[in-house]
Amino acid sequence: MVNLTIDDKQVSAPKDSTIYDAAKLNGIKIPILCHDKKLKPFGACRMCLVEVEQMKGRQIPACTTPITEGMIIRTDTPDIIKARKLVLELLLLNHPLDCPVCDKGGDCDLQNLTYDYQVNSNRFVDSKFQHEIDYNNPLIERDMNRCVLCGKCVRICDEIVGFGALTFIDRGIETKIGCEFEKGLNCEFCGSCVSVCPVGSLLARPFKFKSRFWALNKQNSVCGYCGTGCNLTLGVKDNKVLTTIYDENQGFHKGQLCVRGRFGYQFISSDKRLTKPMVRKNGVLTESTWDEALEVVAGRLKGGTDVAALATARLTNEEFTLFKKLLEKAGTKNFDHSAGYAHAALTDGFARSFGTSASPASILDVQKSDLLLVIKTDTYETHPVVGFEINMAVKNKGVKLTVLSDKRGKLSKLPNAKTLVHTPGSEIVILNALAKAILDAKLTDGSASIIPGLPELELSLAAYGADAVYSQCGISAADINKLASEYAAAEKALIIFPVGQAYSGHTAELATAAANLALLTGKYGKEGCGVLCLSEKNNSQGAVDMGFYAQNGSMNALQILDACTSGTVKTLFIAGENPLNSYPDKDKVKSALNAVDFLVVSELFMTETAAMADVVLPVCSFAEKEGTFTSADRRVQYVKPAVRKGIQTKTDYEVFSDLICCLGGQIPPSTAAQFDEIAGRVPGYQGLSHASLRINSAFAPVSITPAFVVPKVPAPVTTGQGMLAMVTGSALYHSGTLSQFGEGSMYVCPEAYVELSRTDAAALKIADNDLVNVSSNAGKLQLKAKVTARMPSGVVFVPYHFSAAPVNTIWNGAAVTPVSLSK
Amino acid sequence: MNPITPILHGMKITFEHLFKKPVTLQYPDERPKVAQRFRGLHGLKVSHNKAKCVACYLCPTVCPAKCIRVEAGEDANHDKYASVYEIDMLRCIFCGYCVEACPVDALKMTGEFELANYKRSDFVYSKERLLEK
Repeated sequence: MVNLTIDDKQVSAPKDSTIYDAAKLNGIKIPILCHDKKLKPFGACRMCLVEVEQMKGRQIPACTTPITEGMIIRTDTPDIIKARKLVLELLLLNHPLDCPVCDKGGDCDLQNLTYDYQVNSNRFVDSKFQHEIDYNNPLIERDMNRCVLCGKCVRICDEIVGFGALTFIDRGIETKIGCEFEKGLNCEFCGSCVSVCPVGSLLARPFKFKSRFWALNKQNSVCGYCGTGCNLTLGVKDNKVLTTIYDENQGFHKGQLCVRGRFGYQFISSDKRLTKPMVRKNGVLTESTWDEALEVVAGRLKGGTDVAALATARLTNEEFTLFKKLLEKAGTKNFDHSAGYAHAALTDGFARSFGTSASPASILDVQKSDLLLVIKTDTYETHPVVGFEINMAVKNKGVKLTVLSDKRGKLSKLPNAKTLVHTPGSEIVILNALAKAILDAKLTDGSASIIPGLPELELSLAAYGADAVYSQCGISAADINKLASEYAAAEKALIIFPVGQAYSGHTAELATAAANLALLTGKYGKEGCGVLCLSEKNNSQGAVDMGFYAQNGSMNALQILDACTSGTVKTLFIAGENPLNSYPDKDKVKSALNAVDFLVVSELFMTETAAMADVVLPVCSFAEKEGTFTSADRRVQYVKPAVRKGIQTKTDYEVFSDLICCLGGQIPPSTAAQFDEIAGRVPGYQGLSHASLRINSAFAPVSITPAFVVPKVPAPVTTGQGMLAMVTGSALYHSGTLSQFGEGSMYVCPEAYVELSRTDAAALKIADNDLVNVSSNAGKLQLKAKVTARMPSGVVFVPYHFSAAPVNTIWNGAAVTPVSLSK
Repeated sequence: MNPITPILHGMKITFEHLFKKPVTLQYPDERPKVAQRFRGLHGLKVSHNKAKCVACYLCPTVCPAKCIRVEAGEDANHDKYASVYEIDMLRCIFCGYCVEACPVDALKMTGEFELANYKRSDFVYSKERLLEK
């Protein structure tokens, strides 16, 4: 700590602080426009000028000057105030005074400072800028006339997002912020630039003119899309979610969000939401009452050994537990979530390798590690905010990054990132080869010898010599050996891989193979080490922790659907899941849902699955309910209702408790009591309660019992002559099928596509945006072509979110599907 | 005191008033002349054939009676305008803060004071009714 004096106050601050940081830490406010705590100091605005006695009273910027011992600083002398006024006058010279029509009014740093310093006249005269305003972009409106050139947007896009869409153009008075060749924005649309803009230059277009900042009710929540568990502030007015608000102090990510989190909130207050329960009468779904609907459902559930249930991983922990209670009360053990395989890496893979069904690492470890091994570049697409962390780790902390992927992606573009592009579906082979290389080179950690199962593992890896696997995976022995030695030599190393319904290749075996690497080299149970499985949805980890999956011989999701077809399951309760769109093999799912006697669906929207139901129950989104979500790295977070739910809708929690009451069971008095019960039972949740989580989220600790397990390697997929290997996955702008109802996501990525390499496109004479027939053994689908440089030849990528072009018509759940493309 | 004196005094005043201008008005045949700064019904000023209001929401923000409802819209030129501008005259206390707050001088208070109506809903003045004629 360094001691110094600011405005006659004795203060101390860490030695790497700037004057601005030291003052802020000690409650002294220095005005500034160009600073954000996530960004590196820039010193553009000259508002933070202070006087330092040791520097002969010169005025120096506080945000770029490091502190030294014994500094005597004054922040508010008449000279400084005069200088700041001058800065404001010069900014206001060109800044249009259109505060009444600017959406930033009320939240604008320039407006606040002008008010604070009472700059109500201007000694100078100049004309205002006449830059063209970009109204065309559906998400981000750019009005460079209002810009104060603080450079925050440029820096956040470069330093944190790593896209670099914006930059300074021209010099001197002509300087402005723009995109390459002064074209429109064509980026990830994460809106980070909008969030940090101190003036109204960059604005969220979906929120344009919707409300003034001061009229919004700010509600803290947790994002309802992916498993990262980002914190959100929702701007609510008249019980409608109108926008998301940036708060640099929120969450591990410091308010940083991706496109879905920031712009995909519209589904909460959508007009398309279901408002009344519906019961099928004479073959038609007709609006009904809750009493009638629940009575019908309870009647079917009673004594139902032929009952089964599927749930979405977006329910709260309390709801999962109560749903389980309901099903047990009804007399069934057949329930599952996420197609039954999207959670297998945790429930099978980690369970046997680490003795716990959770990742033995957290997202915070990303920046603390020395080496990151990322399996699939899709990690960026599925969990963009984790991608930002990886970006910052690589750029700011010099962390080494190696990506093992079947295609290139944004992570491959990071400085010094090494991407090993392999044959699709050969991840496990490569991980085994890495383990073999580590064993052969005797790079194992001392701790590995006491872990059970090492001799068996060694024996099983005999066939995975680096040279032998080349033909299977397409990665050279030299690369494998180099990566193995780097991984083993790194003091701290972290393996990251995403799982999800579209990543059917990311199985328990993959998790096991990755875990073996960590166990062999002792890279687990320490800071910056471990294996991080990024579960797909906001409460995927919670669903696993609550035990809402097939256990002890009960049927998993796909078996439940088979049982529906065969008639063993007669009543199916689907809570929020849309299997018709997101589960493999659409025909099979459709025949199962057709065959089942009685189908209950609780949903937000009239999805394809809900349309087939006998009873549809309108339920609530994350923003309308109370409960807890557990993120991918097992951070338990509390959510409270941000908006009132519809009069005729119920939360899933209320639905399950009403049904339990109908069946004559006991229910806990409140969600808090339900959570207390969870805290008493689920390992790692001890000591947590709603009261404590309301104040601060908490990590549920993971205790590891390591074991080596021999991963079963799937047979390699051979794509025949003229066929391409199709891999499925997530698009950056979407998460599951829910984001289809978030307008922000649909503006930038409205439809499914097939992404293929330039060589394949040239060979097949396919151009960008051509309509292409993609056919596999399972069926045929027409998709728009997207020709990119990131795809290796022979591989095509199709995202899975869209019900208008469901990929499951041509995909039956295989990690790699041979397809042929034709125009 | 002589009991007749106050009566005479009173009669004198009465007599004087016979020759003065009457203070009462024969309303509604006769109309009062309202002062220039009288705070009656609001009026939305018009310029270039459209309301000057830019829907900045300062009037509903400052209104102590919370009787103003504004909704902003975006016109063809991407400019902000009030797609909805309503004042509930049953709640209005005619304080004039809205006029004071208006940054674009789009709102005024007219001399119109005859606000009686038959139905409650008729007291909610829409933008069309408030527009300066």
